[in-house]
Amino acid sequence: MTAQKPILEIVDLHVNVEDKEILKGVNLTIKAGEIHAIMGRNGSGKSTLSYTVMGHPRYKVTSGKMLYKGEEISQMSPDERAKLGIALAFQYPVAIPGVSVSNFLRKTTNACRGREIPVKEFRQELKALMAKLGVKDEFLSRYVNDGFSGGEKKRLEILQLSLLKPSLAVLDETDSGLDIDALKTVSEGVNAMVSPETAILLITHYQRMLDYVQPDFVHVFQDGKIITSGGKELALELESRGYEWVKDTTVNQTVSV
Amino acid sequence: MSESLQVDNLQVSTIAREKVEDLCRLNGEPNWLKEKRLSAWESYLQCPMPTVKDEDWRATLVGKLDLGKLCPAAPLKEGKTASTPDLLKAALKDLAKPGAVYVEDYARGQMSVSVEAELSTAKVVVSPFAQAVESHKDVLEKLFAEKRGIQDKFTLMNEALAGGGLFVHVPKNTRVEAPVVMMLNLPENSTAATKDPSGLAVFPRIIINVEENASINFVSIVASEKTAEATETVLAASVVEFHIAAGAKVSVAEVTNLGPEVFFVNRVRAYVARDAVIDFTTAGLGGKQTKSDIETILMDRGAHAAVKGVVFGGGAERYAYNTIAEHAAPDTTSNINFRVALKDKSASIYQGIVKVDKVAQRTDAYQSNKNLLLGKEAKADSIPKLEILADDVKCSHGATVSPVDKEQLFYLTCRGLTAPEAEELIVTGFFQQVLDTIPIQGVVNFLAALTSDKLHKS
Ligand SMILES: Nc1ncnc2c1ncn2[C@@H]1O[C@H](COP(=O)(O)OP(=O)(O)O)[C@@H](O)[C@H]1O
Ligand SMILES: [Mg+2]
Repeated sequence: MTAQKPILEIVDLHVNVEDKEILKGVNLTIKAGEIHAIMGRNGSGKSTLSYTVMGHPRYKVTSGKMLYKGEEISQMSPDERAKLGIALAFQYPVAIPGVSVSNFLRKTTNACRGREIPVKEFRQELKALMAKLGVKDEFLSRYVNDGFSGGEKKRLEILQLSLLKPSLAVLDETDSGLDIDALKTVSEGVNAMVSPETAILLITHYQRMLDYVQPDFVHVFQDGKIITSGGKELALELESRGYEWVKDTTVNQTVSV
Repeated sequence: MSESLQVDNLQVSTIAREKVEDLCRLNGEPNWLKEKRLSAWESYLQCPMPTVKDEDWRATLVGKLDLGKLCPAAPLKEGKTASTPDLLKAALKDLAKPGAVYVEDYARGQMSVSVEAELSTAKVVVSPFAQAVESHKDVLEKLFAEKRGIQDKFTLMNEALAGGGLFVHVPKNTRVEAPVVMMLNLPENSTAATKDPSGLAVFPRIIINVEENASINFVSIVASEKTAEATETVLAASVVEFHIAAGAKVSVAEVTNLGPEVFFVNRVRAYVARDAVIDFTTAGLGGKQTKSDIETILMDRGAHAAVKGVVFGGGAERYAYNTIAEHAAPDTTSNINFRVALKDKSASIYQGIVKVDKVAQRTDAYQSNKNLLLGKEAKADSIPKLEILADDVKCSHGATVSPVDKEQLFYLTCRGLTAPEAEELIVTGFFQQVLDTIPIQGVVNFLAALTSDKLHKS
């Protein structure tokens, strides 16, 4: 894994939302082939990080660097980033009423791949993925995320990412709202995206998804930055001892440095 | 020039009595009809021209119409034209095999009607209005006796000067799936105006009479085309009536796709009897000023009206739609869903009235109007009104005016669509939700293609 090039490099990133600083110096490097998990309390800024990576216009980078495959992306529009191979599975997927899932998937897949995939070929690929992710056929004629249950939305997010085949996949609390069976299927879908060329950033709040998708690194997020990092055992520690415990370790670490 | 000054000018300028008499002579009409026309013309004279100060007409451009210059179109000759208007071609491609096609083409100066054997054998009548006046005098006289419904300057103008138009009659228990398609094609004002050109006015009257437990699908297309000859002003003022007897069902899709200089004033009245249903969708996709009032009168228990609108403005187009859902009997239901998207400097005003008469207990009425502002200078107004006299009713309404949702845009751009592509998809979906409810096969595709064309038109 050591020889791999970084896919994402974030250096001392500061981000404002409506003039309020939310990210306060994030440092994170993810190399090809790696799975990183970010854990942290509600409101610590995890979604802000994922939106910033994707280029949400409301989230303003005030300083720091954000490189994708060595290229600064902070000035790029979300669609440019998507076309480069960055994708986000939303914590709260947005409904697009009136647009059928099938039409939407075809349009977005074509856009990201930069070519018109023949209808038949696309259908076959889609059907295979749907079967794997336990998505029913009738899904295709429904409007995107309109009236979907939490679990259905998350399945659709993973279905989309599986089609878009990003080099960098950011999953923002994909596990919340899923029952155990759904979590298992969705996790399998995530694992299927793993390859030596792809990087995955998995944001979660519980460690249960990490039983299925094994991270190489776990980072703890607090008040707009990463306060500690470790291997997957860190997630288990967090689960049993809570975030308070992390705070203490940071203090200790700082002292010992 | 101030608005009121223009309006004042109009009070003196009006359509002359001779024009009504000419029309009767040209058509060789029976006396009773001539009497009826002249009496309507008298009322028309008495009736003041609506101004922007009238609540029903506010924000409209009718004040810009010079009535004195308007010349009612001469009756059209029957015959097949050498070419079919493009929009009709497109419609016929998308629709399932139509049961009848009626074309009134003022751009080419011809009209035609063709009725499939399936309809003729079922004794369904699809006839130009002028012929029906003779052949179905009794039915028509009965229908004319129906006085409910709003009268205004333009409906009276139509009554006095009605030319062209269509009569459809569906006998008891006859259910017709294949749609009756009507096209009204107008010449469009060209800028190369000749010296003092006169205006053209057409006054179609469409009457659709559906007897007990019968059903019909009706598709109406109103469009315009550029012609060599210039006319200063073009006005179509139509009155469309649906008489729907007990247990009958009428589904309607109406589209207006007029050039940027054509005025369209339209009044739809649906009389809905016991357990009868009207499912009405209108699509406003172009015209200088479209002013359309859609009145549904639920006259007996179990009557239901679904009224839907898809309005897509661009350029300097203006739209004014009024829906009037009158609950005149107990246990009646209405559902109104009007969607408006506006580009450029276009403007729309939607007024939705739900009237519940004193007797109309257990009325269930819902009204929704959503407006999507795409142009920075576009303007939309939404005025819901409830006039409720009964005490046991369920009425609710909602209205929104907003630009494209930023979170929807972000979501779609995160999936690789450019901002304009994302906006396009959102607008498409906005309309699609209404189009998906049209029960007439093929209309969805036809209208989706038209809205998509308009989206790409700069
Ligand atoms: N669009 C926004 N407007 C205002 N405040 C925001 C916005 N997005 C996030 N915040 C604030 O930023 C902080 C971090 O939020 P978020 O990134 O959603 O945290 P997490 O995903 O870790 O729960 C919170 O205090 C939240 O209120
Ligand atoms: Mg979050």
